[in-house]
Amino acid sequence: MRRLRYSYHMQLNFEEPVREHNFKLRCFPSTDARQKISDERIKIYPVHFSNSERDSFGNMCIYGTAKQIHSHFSVDVTGTAEIDINGRITAEPHKSGIFKYETPLTRAGKSIREFHMSLDPMNWMSHYERALYMMHELYDDFTYSPGTTGIATTAEQSFEFRRGVCQDYAHILLALCRLERIPCRYVAGMIPGEGATHAWTEVLDGDIWRPIDPTHNRECGDTYIKFSSGRDAQDCAINQGVFYGGGRQVQEVRVVVSEILP
Amino acid sequence: MALTEEELCSQAGSVNEQLARYGVKFGIYKNGEFHEQLFPFDVIPRVIGHEEFSYLERGLKQRVTALNEFLRDIYSDRKIIADGVIAEEFIYSGSGYIAQCDGVSPPGGIYSHISGIDLVQGKNGSWYVLEDNLRIPSGASYPMIARELCMRSIPGAFTGSSTEDNRNYPELLRHVMDYVNTGGHSVILTPGRFNAAYFEHSYFAERTGARLVTCEDLTVENDKLYFIDYSGKKEQVGAVYRRISDEYLDPVNFNRQSLIGIPHIFDIYRKGNVALINSPGNGAADDKGIYYFVPRMVKYYLGEEPILQNAPTYLPYYDADMSYVLEHFDSLVIKDVAEAGGYGVVFGSKLSSGEKENFKAMLRSEPRRFIAQEVIDFRDIDIYEDGQRVPRKADLRAFVLMSDEPVVWKSGLTRFSRNPDSFIVNSSQGGGFKDTWILSE
Repeated sequence: MRRLRYSYHMQLNFEEPVREHNFKLRCFPSTDARQKISDERIKIYPVHFSNSERDSFGNMCIYGTAKQIHSHFSVDVTGTAEIDINGRITAEPHKSGIFKYETPLTRAGKSIREFHMSLDPMNWMSHYERALYMMHELYDDFTYSPGTTGIATTAEQSFEFRRGVCQDYAHILLALCRLERIPCRYVAGMIPGEGATHAWTEVLDGDIWRPIDPTHNRECGDTYIKFSSGRDAQDCAINQGVFYGGGRQVQEVRVVVSEILP
Repeated sequence: MALTEEELCSQAGSVNEQLARYGVKFGIYKNGEFHEQLFPFDVIPRVIGHEEFSYLERGLKQRVTALNEFLRDIYSDRKIIADGVIAEEFIYSGSGYIAQCDGVSPPGGIYSHISGIDLVQGKNGSWYVLEDNLRIPSGASYPMIARELCMRSIPGAFTGSSTEDNRNYPELLRHVMDYVNTGGHSVILTPGRFNAAYFEHSYFAERTGARLVTCEDLTVENDKLYFIDYSGKKEQVGAVYRRISDEYLDPVNFNRQSLIGIPHIFDIYRKGNVALINSPGNGAADDKGIYYFVPRMVKYYLGEEPILQNAPTYLPYYDADMSYVLEHFDSLVIKDVAEAGGYGVVFGSKLSSGEKENFKAMLRSEPRRFIAQEVIDFRDIDIYEDGQRVPRKADLRAFVLMSDEPVVWKSGLTRFSRNPDSFIVNSSQGGGFKDTWILSE
């Protein structure tokens, strides 16, 4: 069990002013069996109307509209999280089927299928053991390389060049697990020392969702703060928005997570 | 009919001319270009007897009730999956399933408000359902306006006949909109005049008294949907009969590249603040793969034997069906589940032996992608062409409207193939249409 202090800052800077900005945000850790959130503060600017909801995957969302003309849009979220990674997050089998099938972002193409075929037989392993094994193999054959992929890059595209970032690692591991028909999901969140948001995966082991981090080739520990989960990065989109105007836009993200020592 | 055939047919040209003048057109996209073409009308009506239609009516109500139950179930409890009645893969990997609809209860508990069920009649007289259309089925306006024009041009055709009046469709539609309306106006949302069914959108708006709007006329504010009129005045909207597909409905929630749509309309729909007709996510129940399971749904949800039957269908996904399909390939028609409008349909017998082998290989590598059906020998229906009656293949799209109870419209769109050798009747492939007369006694 650890106590962490977190802050998430996101700012969109528009070259030309925008108006009628409609947004939907998923960057709000919420309390569950593994994390207890307190002292939460949320600041969105500018905003004319906003409301919150849980989406179909149970993720906390804030959606709204900024009608007035603005040239930047910012979101600040701070709080304290008490993490116990051994907390039990469970699923009913007949409701987790949706996590067994590929999505456009996690579709296994030729290169992922060939890689999957080259692996050792896994018949004797449990779902969780298979996921760990595939994670290790993926880690050995893939290079962490910022700037080579984008948010719309598919698992197959990034695996072809064996390069990418945490979103790509997660998508490829999901594609591999789904070839084995293992229910697995994408998780967006934060960890200490990254500076940006992070992504990892959860694998259904019996009726428990177990978090593993393919970018670091490890099981998750008490430093992982979760925003959301879904079938892929699109279900967990941190910031979706449409607006009029804007020209070029530059996004700044700053994440700080630090341990509160007892 | 107190009218000779010559008299009736002599008016064919005049009715088609009037249809053209009214703008009863069908738009199609071909090679990336939009073409508007007339939807050829044949004056000889398809006549369905009272008894026979009562049978269809019972079967259609039963089928649509089960399909609504299915949609409610897969977006909530998923009992049908837990009980192993349907393979979950067909739900989750179909393109029509929308995960964001999970846990949403649409106003009135209705998913498929307007269903277009396509049927054919075999040579032996029995009817088969070929397809369920639960997204935005179009076509009811065509027989309605044709009836109107025929009554004007050929009044003799109707004297002494006991045909059900089909011009009540707008009332039925209005009742559905009022029934699910959450407070405010009802509107018909069209993507605009470059849509294949624009004529129908404007016609229904005029006849139901609902306002015809495009996305720019609507806005979400403070969790409510408003219509903004030309003077800038805002009025709340409680029901949207939307004729745009799910993916273009809301750019914040679905296709972010979409230039149309109403930001946040899906968020307020989730909250129960507006009714969308038909509900988003219905595509999960009218997928060609799901079709196979509809008779099972009737038994599962209603505990009844299905009144209407499917065309005999095989799912190569199941091993037993796969071997049957490979063995009887020549007598089957194979359909790609992702395609619609008569595309992606292959008759086994029409392929060369090389093509056959390639197709079978594709079937083995992507079994989930296809269904196979026995070719039904349709009963031909006469059409009037170049001064004589000639037989053509035809189907019937029946419309079922759901409010407090399902109602089957006493008419339907009969589409026929203009090519004597073709089984494909889709209007997007150049087919024509007929009015459908239901006898009241």
